[in-house]
Amino acid sequence: MDKKSSIWVYITLAFGGLAFAYPFLWMLSATFKPEMEIAEIGLMSGNFNLDNYRAVFNKIPIGRALLNSIFVSSCVTFSAVLFGSIVGYALARLRFFGRDLIMGVILFTMVIPFQITLIPMYILMVKFGWVDTYMSLIVPGMISTFGILLFRQFFLDIPQDLIDAARIDGCSDLAILFRIFFPLSKPVMITVGILSFMGSWNDVLWPLIVVRVRELMTMPQMVTLFKVGGQAESQIGSQLAAAALLAVPIVIVYTFFQRYFIESMATTGLKN
Amino acid sequence: MQMENNHHNRNLRKIHISVIGLFCLLCVFQLCEKRQNGNQQKNSGIQITYWCSSNQDEIDLAQYLVDQWNMVNDSIKVKMQPIPASQSAEEVLLAAIAAGTTPDICSNMWPGAMDDFIASGGLVRLDQFPDFVDYISERVPKDLLETFRGPDGHFYQIPWKSNPIMVVYNKNIFRDAGVDFIPRTYSEYIEAGRKITRDLDGDGNFDVWLSHRDTKPIWWQRFFDYYTFYIAASGGQTLFDGSQMIFNNESSVRVFDFFQQIYKEGLFAKTTFVGDAFILGKLATQIAGPWHVSHVEKFRPPGFEYGIFPVPVPDDYKGQVYTFGDFKNISIFGTTKHPEATYAFAKYLVTAEADLKLLEFTLQIPIRDDLTENPLFEDFFKENPNMVYFAEQAPYTRGMDGVSDLKEIFDAISQEYEACAIFNRRDPAVAVENAAKRAKVIMEWNRSR
Amino acid sequence: MRHFIKEIKSSEKSGYLMSMPYVVYFCIFVAFPLAFSFFLIFHKWNIVTPMEWVGLRNFNRLFHDIQFIKSIRNTLVFLAIHIPLQISIALFFAMQLNKKIIFRGFFRALFFLPVIVSGVVITILWEQLYSYETGLLNLIITRFGFARIPWINSPEWAMPSIAIMATWKNVGLYIILFLVGLQGIPRYLYEAAEIDGAKPVQRFFYITIPALNNTMLLVIILSTIGGFSLFIEPFVMTGGGPMNSTLSAMLYIYNQAFYFGHMGYAATLGFFFAFIILVVILIQKKVVERE
Repeated sequence: MDKKSSIWVYITLAFGGLAFAYPFLWMLSATFKPEMEIAEIGLMSGNFNLDNYRAVFNKIPIGRALLNSIFVSSCVTFSAVLFGSIVGYALARLRFFGRDLIMGVILFTMVIPFQITLIPMYILMVKFGWVDTYMSLIVPGMISTFGILLFRQFFLDIPQDLIDAARIDGCSDLAILFRIFFPLSKPVMITVGILSFMGSWNDVLWPLIVVRVRELMTMPQMVTLFKVGGQAESQIGSQLAAAALLAVPIVIVYTFFQRYFIESMATTGLKN
Repeated sequence: MQMENNHHNRNLRKIHISVIGLFCLLCVFQLCEKRQNGNQQKNSGIQITYWCSSNQDEIDLAQYLVDQWNMVNDSIKVKMQPIPASQSAEEVLLAAIAAGTTPDICSNMWPGAMDDFIASGGLVRLDQFPDFVDYISERVPKDLLETFRGPDGHFYQIPWKSNPIMVVYNKNIFRDAGVDFIPRTYSEYIEAGRKITRDLDGDGNFDVWLSHRDTKPIWWQRFFDYYTFYIAASGGQTLFDGSQMIFNNESSVRVFDFFQQIYKEGLFAKTTFVGDAFILGKLATQIAGPWHVSHVEKFRPPGFEYGIFPVPVPDDYKGQVYTFGDFKNISIFGTTKHPEATYAFAKYLVTAEADLKLLEFTLQIPIRDDLTENPLFEDFFKENPNMVYFAEQAPYTRGMDGVSDLKEIFDAISQEYEACAIFNRRDPAVAVENAAKRAKVIMEWNRSR
Repeated sequence: MRHFIKEIKSSEKSGYLMSMPYVVYFCIFVAFPLAFSFFLIFHKWNIVTPMEWVGLRNFNRLFHDIQFIKSIRNTLVFLAIHIPLQISIALFFAMQLNKKIIFRGFFRALFFLPVIVSGVVITILWEQLYSYETGLLNLIITRFGFARIPWINSPEWAMPSIAIMATWKNVGLYIILFLVGLQGIPRYLYEAAEIDGAKPVQRFFYITIPALNNTMLLVIILSTIGGFSLFIEPFVMTGGGPMNSTLSAMLYIYNQAFYFGHMGYAATLGFFFAFIILVVILIQKKVVERE
């Protein structure tokens, strides 16, 4: 294992990399080609143009959908981190009757597949009058049990002396959480933040169920309906353009935070 | 001790404030949304919301009609919005009824779903308006009007437009293939298909086909193959007679058999195309309604000639050819705060002038019985001679049965159709029998005790 | 003494207050839906008309529902192809990445890219790749002289095609997980084995695989849960066809609930399906942990 790796390793990896990268490159180039030239293996074309993108922007309010997604995902992420840390702290460092019961309940709910609760949750949204409002998109996602567990795990490892010192100084628990724990918790916060953001951004099933009004649709939902609802009128270029637009925001975020993305997924694996 | 408590309270308060702040933000946004979608208006006067189909032509039409109305009416303003796109408009509307987010009026009501809409209590009874029946009888032929009565004998929809399904054909392709007749029966249509479907450039694959249909087993796709041909083959029958299922008959089997034959010989293309294949000259015929003609007219290349003929019928069929008329009607929703104002707007939508605009913008047929006689429409038909075919076919159309679970039943038919015709894995008689069996099971399951 | 008690009490108060958000959330969004779901199973309801008690009729229907059983079979077919493919490809690439190479970060990021992109994008892209006449895959295949494959047009190929696409999308995540697992295996184990004369293949099966047991279990469970949730891919790409071969259980439940309006029946399906998932996962746990 210590010798320099043979050329074969690089060739295999290159092939693998090509298999993962080429479809995206192909998709990107297809969105700029006129419809007739899409059915080609190559990437190049003499006729690159923006027609497909223009068609998408003309037909659906995708800019609005982008804003919706950003708004919804940001709210969900912010609140998941906030509440995850608060509850995680309570479960990790405070002693009170019922604490272990709550822990047990959390673990139990993680095993329940969402398929059972999907329909009653929808009915709940109807009864609350939240259908076709931002509330239905944000509130059910505001607490992430995964986030709670991650924060709890992390908080367990913080030395007790820090807490004792703060108590003597007269700090309340919330103050301890925000003044002492938060500065130390950057990795967990980023992990929970990224997981929440990604989960919320890419979710399609729930928005499809609770939002029917165009102004409130999230970006993946709008692109799905654009394709499935026939508005694309079988223009493949437009479909691919819409898909490309959907991919862009998260790819941009990914390029900057790539390391955090990968590490956060890896740590969730370990914690499980 | 005192200091500790104060500290405690102050910090707790800070946190509470930020959390409350977050909720306030959310509430503000929600209120903004509600106001946008709501019917309140700061200026004096009434505002009503009108949902039209998400089809571009209809959006243009709706915009035009609404603008005209708003120019002349100060006290009643109309705001128009296309129905939110989804797999089907009915799903959207039922969901809106469930959630209470319905508009005042919608012009994309599908008669087949009427039972569900009415049962949910979501629609306004139209014959409560004293002039309704007279006004409508002037426009719509009596026997057609009767088919739109609700199960309790009252009217909940205004018949608006229909799309009689016929066959559009490419005259150039027919000529090049040596087809010099208009096919009337299944045999003639298949014979034309055999001449047309061939390999033009010698690469071993067909390049020109008789036609193409979307073969995805989505229930409404069957309207444009199985259901249309079934109505034609059975001389104007639909799937149900009242609540009796009647489609398990010879006509259905013949239609299944016909399509199985077509796909066996490869006369209909099975693959998906890039772009509109009919306009590109790859398909000789297209089974469609007048809206397709509008599309073809818009996008056809120079030299492209097309014509229209009624759907083919079984070889031994004689007499008038019936077809499927994809009706769309207008309804007023029970959540409306201004029923009279909305009704006034509804009446406006079915005036002769509005119908003329319907013809001009969308090339769809208004449900009125004086289309070919009223001088108002004369110029239009002179400029669009192809539309005369559809106008003449219009009285001989049938729609959907208003049976609940119709979608699921069509779903079942779709799947048997797929197995039999597309994949040639089932005998037509067996397929129809299976479909009828599953339909019976569906109705059994969903019947109330 | 009083001070001590007061301190405990204050800690308890904070504890309750701070865990309140979760408790509220649990009651509204977990407990109530579960209870309501259980209640809904015995009713027929389409939201707009009043609810109707039907007793065990929904169960009766479930056990006679050929389509539902087919949808579960489809999901199992998907898993049967997806999981082995996933594990072998992920493990393979993880082992390559574990060797001493430059650009490791670059390759890692590249393989991980499909994981973060929305499933909708992947599905739209692959529908084009899989297109019979104009798709990239068939174009490449015909270039080499082979016949076109009806990837999503034939009932035999459709679900496997979706399984391949799902593997392509998710394998990056599992490469990372395996990589972490591999890096945790102490070097000396391999060196000792080499000294003892063990060949590479033996080293692989006797050291690598057992050491990865935990990671393997995790990969299997995550893939299984993901596979049972299969929805957006068939929804966008095939609508459940051809011939219901890609009708996943979730898609069928969605159709029953939101397309046909049978809320009670859909809730029954959901419950039953969740039960199946739990059983499968428990079996997997037992089997893998025994190895």
